[in-house]
Amino acid sequence: MIYITRMMGKPVVDAAGETIGTINDIAISPGEVFPRVTALAFVGPGKAPFMLSWRKYVAEVEEDRVTLQVPRAELRFSYLQPDEVLLAHDLLNKQIVDTQGMKVVRVNDLKLSESRGQLRLLGAEVGARGLLRGIAPGLETLVARVMKLFGRTLAENIIAWNYIDLLDRDLSHVKLSVSHKRLHELHPADVADILEQLTPAQRAKMFEHLDNDQAAEAISELEDELQADVLDDLTDERASDILEIMDPDDAADIIGDLPYDKAEILLRLMGVREARQVRKLLGYRENSAGGIMTPETITVSPSLSVQEVIDRLRATVEEAENIYSIFVVGEGRVLQGVVPLRSLIVSGPETKVADIMSTEYFSAGPDDDQEAVAEMISKYDLLALPVIDEAGRILGMVTVDDALDVLEQESAEDLALAAGRPDSRFGEVGSWLGASTSWVISWIVAGLITGGVMAYFLGLSKEVFLVAALSLPLVMRASDQVAGHSLGQLIEPGEEDGARALARLGIDLAAGASLGAISGLVSLALLQILGRPMTSAIWIGVAITLTIVVLALVGAILPLGLQRKDGTWRASATLVSAIMSASGVALYMALAMAFIGAAGV
Amino acid sequence: MEKTLDTKSRKLWIRLGLFFAVVGPGIITAMVDNDAGGVTTYSIAGASYGYALLWSLIPITIALIVVQEMASRLGVYTGKGFADLIREKWGIRVTFYLMIALLVVNFANTLAEFAGWAASLEMFGVNRYVSVPIGAFIVWIMVARGNYKVVEKLFLIASTVYITYIISGWIAGPDWAEAAREIIIPPIANQPTAYWITLVGVIGTTIAPWMQFYQQSSIVEKGIKPKDYKFARIDTVVGCVLAVVVAIFITLACAATLHPAGITIQFAEDAAKALRPLAGANASTLFAIGLANASLFAASILPLSTAYTIAEGMGWEGGVSKSRKEAPGFHAIYTGMIVLAALIILIPKMPLIPVIFGSQVMNGMLMPVTAFFALRLVNERKLIGDAVNSKRYNVLAWACVAFGAIGSFIMVSAMIFPNLFGA
Repeated sequence: MIYITRMMGKPVVDAAGETIGTINDIAISPGEVFPRVTALAFVGPGKAPFMLSWRKYVAEVEEDRVTLQVPRAELRFSYLQPDEVLLAHDLLNKQIVDTQGMKVVRVNDLKLSESRGQLRLLGAEVGARGLLRGIAPGLETLVARVMKLFGRTLAENIIAWNYIDLLDRDLSHVKLSVSHKRLHELHPADVADILEQLTPAQRAKMFEHLDNDQAAEAISELEDELQADVLDDLTDERASDILEIMDPDDAADIIGDLPYDKAEILLRLMGVREARQVRKLLGYRENSAGGIMTPETITVSPSLSVQEVIDRLRATVEEAENIYSIFVVGEGRVLQGVVPLRSLIVSGPETKVADIMSTEYFSAGPDDDQEAVAEMISKYDLLALPVIDEAGRILGMVTVDDALDVLEQESAEDLALAAGRPDSRFGEVGSWLGASTSWVISWIVAGLITGGVMAYFLGLSKEVFLVAALSLPLVMRASDQVAGHSLGQLIEPGEEDGARALARLGIDLAAGASLGAISGLVSLALLQILGRPMTSAIWIGVAITLTIVVLALVGAILPLGLQRKDGTWRASATLVSAIMSASGVALYMALAMAFIGAAGV
Repeated sequence: MEKTLDTKSRKLWIRLGLFFAVVGPGIITAMVDNDAGGVTTYSIAGASYGYALLWSLIPITIALIVVQEMASRLGVYTGKGFADLIREKWGIRVTFYLMIALLVVNFANTLAEFAGWAASLEMFGVNRYVSVPIGAFIVWIMVARGNYKVVEKLFLIASTVYITYIISGWIAGPDWAEAAREIIIPPIANQPTAYWITLVGVIGTTIAPWMQFYQQSSIVEKGIKPKDYKFARIDTVVGCVLAVVVAIFITLACAATLHPAGITIQFAEDAAKALRPLAGANASTLFAIGLANASLFAASILPLSTAYTIAEGMGWEGGVSKSRKEAPGFHAIYTGMIVLAALIILIPKMPLIPVIFGSQVMNGMLMPVTAFFALRLVNERKLIGDAVNSKRYNVLAWACVAFGAIGSFIMVSAMIFPNLFGA
């Protein structure tokens, strides 16, 4: 294997064995999955840069040199071709888009391989291995060996050329292989994922390569808080064009987030019809049916025939978001009934719409809560739900995909709550607390604060406090374990009979006692070293034991209290575990401090 | 409903954001410059030499503006962070060692911030075993919660708390006439060696390496475009001037009170304590509030800036919005720095003065290196086109970097070899 970082700076030797310079770069011709190396760039004496055709002149690539086929005098130098890409200059250390993994990564090294006399680029190394090699080749070997001792391998993370898109250099004029995946060819949702990882300047550059349709779709898929930013960075003309393409409800969401002046400018630049729709939508609260509905509905009069309706559908299908429900309206757009697409298709062409429409339909008001609306759609398996005003006039419809978005958002919130990870933005503080490892830190902090406050008021010495705090991780682990036992009961109820539950309780208690003994002994040693009264160690041990006992008892009773009559649970497993562990930690510190304080140490 | 509130607050931020569209990075960075180490150094300068060192803050302001202006120009014209540019120009190895150095230096600074936080809250009777964990938690959660824009506004608000120093300096009742006279005519004749060392300390503490990284990154994050660069420059200049104004008032407060009384101090907290009998409880309390704010403020920014910079340089995923799984390196550095710093400060009998002292030495040693990188980059036409330094500006910039470098060098030598300049 040949790596670019290792080749750089190595001597270039001609056929006569004379060193004529050192390697500076390597050019590839990017048309293939594993592109061929086409040219060698090197610096001669006096820092003069030269370029040679690889095919014509390079005889052999070795670890420590590149040997040429001809003596120096016979070399004919060349220039960089417009379709060539320089590995070190254009790729090494640069940020690239991994269009397979949908990530923005930095190239640590480039791996080349020689096969049948041709050197080809295998791909860009973006993992730790390339990083270590770049710092010092010995470091890579060292770390790999150490990891091997632990039964791990230091894996290479290579991205093949056809999954690489460059961020800095515009490759649009370079002919890439057919299989090459460029950023703008990805699904808009994936493009959005990548855009979110870029800096504003890089994002702006990427947007230059997207056409308006792609840009509109990608922006719709972006995180809410980025949408307005991205649009704000585009020229007004382009921004308004893109907004026109977007579904009016999406466009309204974004315009609602823009500064007032900018929003006005864009609305004026937009088509009259689109702008009017957006303005109307802007009038509704964001989390209401009005806020998520689309005003683009297909409405027909009851006197039309099925054939006429189908003809109209064909004519307008381009613009409509959803054609599965046709709304029958009378005078002043008052909704009279709904015709599902299915009924249209199965009915004879001459049938009047009025005869097949169902007048028993579900509808929502524009101020209804979005969650209620989404639940209605889900519950009754609707494809679209009409939104009507007090007078029964149709304003728009909420489609099933809008409802899915709402439900996804709400269920993410609910799930997050259950798993201790609120995901809504107001719960971000909570979500940080919730990331499972962050819990550990929070517990320690909670324990330290509890203990600290008590120690402060009881006038205990810092050393004693610290020694007690050292046992916190142990308490945490044990609390977690005890919580786990209780949770086993929670998740798979009925699996345990009374006797086994009791046995388990016994084990918990024994474990608590032995843990107490162990930390007591450790604390004893520490207090001895610090020259503090060692009786505190006893109290630390007792506090641990007691804490575990209390937790085990609570854990045994908990499943009874948490189960609702219908068999569902009031709290999630993670939440219970988290609360148990946190209270364990706080309880332990409080007990330890109280005992030590009371003992008057 | 959570979402309504949220939308409202977001709209409010957007309106405020219009106002603050470009303002921020410069002011915030410059304000954080007056951190625990900074307050300590300015207090020492005032307590030991009265008004005699005030003049130096004028050339320091210029040097600070030049260095920070180059960082923000690089950010605006390349759209990339400082570590990013260093990596792309000098490769992995240089970047790696620079990042290691920055990690160590910034960690030492973070330690100093927690020391400042603990000391100032102890003045209000809060035990450090309570204040430090709480402080660490606040810092960690505030920044880690994900929305940099909101955090930046919080920082801007925190910047206004520095006004406490100005009031405190005012209450202390400095001799304005003498202060002005000594600024205009620097009393540099017949000063002892220690005077010059303190001067260098002031230089070293004011121009710190992390500031370049932080300001450039926040400018990139904001996506300020070249056409708006003039605003970014105003932001930088205003920030630097404000920072030095605060520094002047810290020095004044100590110069007016501690200096005539012959009290010398070792740490900012000493200054706050010494102010009580001399300038009254109000001045003392304001000084302590200022220190608490400055320490916590800087303690929030340093780990964040370090984690961002290193992730950027090493090509790791970074950002507070990324999960721990997506960006393990970023979170390890960010959380690790805060937790470790807090734990170390909590070690009983931990000597705090050497910690502050050490962090300033390290700042001073790294500053010339990063300033050199910045100067090289800001002269690359391939990188920033016509925004490269003009010849005249280059002379000024090299002079400023040399000024800082020589200053730092002398300070570091004097700190490591206390007898270098005689007694």
